[in-house]
Amino acid sequence: MDRDANKKGRQRKMPGASKKMGQAVENGAAGTSVETQGARPDNGLSPTLQAHIGRQVRAVFDEVAREPIPEHLLRLLKDLERSGEK
Amino acid sequence: MGSLRAFAVSLCGDKERADDLVQETLFKAWNHLDSFKEGTNLKAWLFTILRNTYFSERRKRWREVEDADGIYAARLASQPAQHGHMDMQDFRAALIRIPDDQREALILVGAAGFSYEEAAEICGCAVGTIKSRVNRARNRLAGMLGLEQIENDLGSAGFSKTA
Repeated sequence: MDRDANKKGRQRKMPGASKKMGQAVENGAAGTSVETQGARPDNGLSPTLQAHIGRQVRAVFDEVAREPIPEHLLRLLKDLERSGEK
Repeated sequence: MGSLRAFAVSLCGDKERADDLVQETLFKAWNHLDSFKEGTNLKAWLFTILRNTYFSERRKRWREVEDADGIYAARLASQPAQHGHMDMQDFRAALIRIPDDQREALILVGAAGFSYEEAAEICGCAVGTIKSRVNRARNRLAGMLGLEQIENDLGSAGFSKTA
């Protein structure tokens, strides 16, 4: 994705709510990032190890993320959307 | 929504509380829709609200949070190995034992799909701070799980550090 100027204000334009942002997510190795704003991304761990950790973090996270959304939350979302359409 | 929920769980460690948090976040988001700018990142915005809600509640109820950590740890300990992989359970256990800010940064960047810049905005800190937190989280996890040792034993394939 584009590296926008790093303004911390909320006016940054993002290409919509797309899910897969930086390649840090894809291969879990943030060391492939070109920018070096202070900390070095691949600080001591091999890419293999970083990738492994990345996979594990995603696995733990996805386990919850992939659960069916509780009914009451889905309903809330629907109600909110419907009230917005009026 | 699923990843919002998963993030909430990673913050408060408890699914019921996480769902309450998500619910409150949705309400707040809805009531503040006017402050959301078209074309900006909806997902990051929701995550920010959720995070802020969590921390402001926590400031009011710090005692309860300590209990939640205990509950989370207990649940992790009793959870059956989901995919038959003990290492995932070990990983989960290690994950909750690293400092909150490191875990949060690692999850936002490594699992929830945000860039470093977005994660920095969600957490209200500098991009460099996020990067160093992610590094530290990884290093700490590797250390806790003895991964470096395993890799040394296996003999890593000699990857040199990428730029």
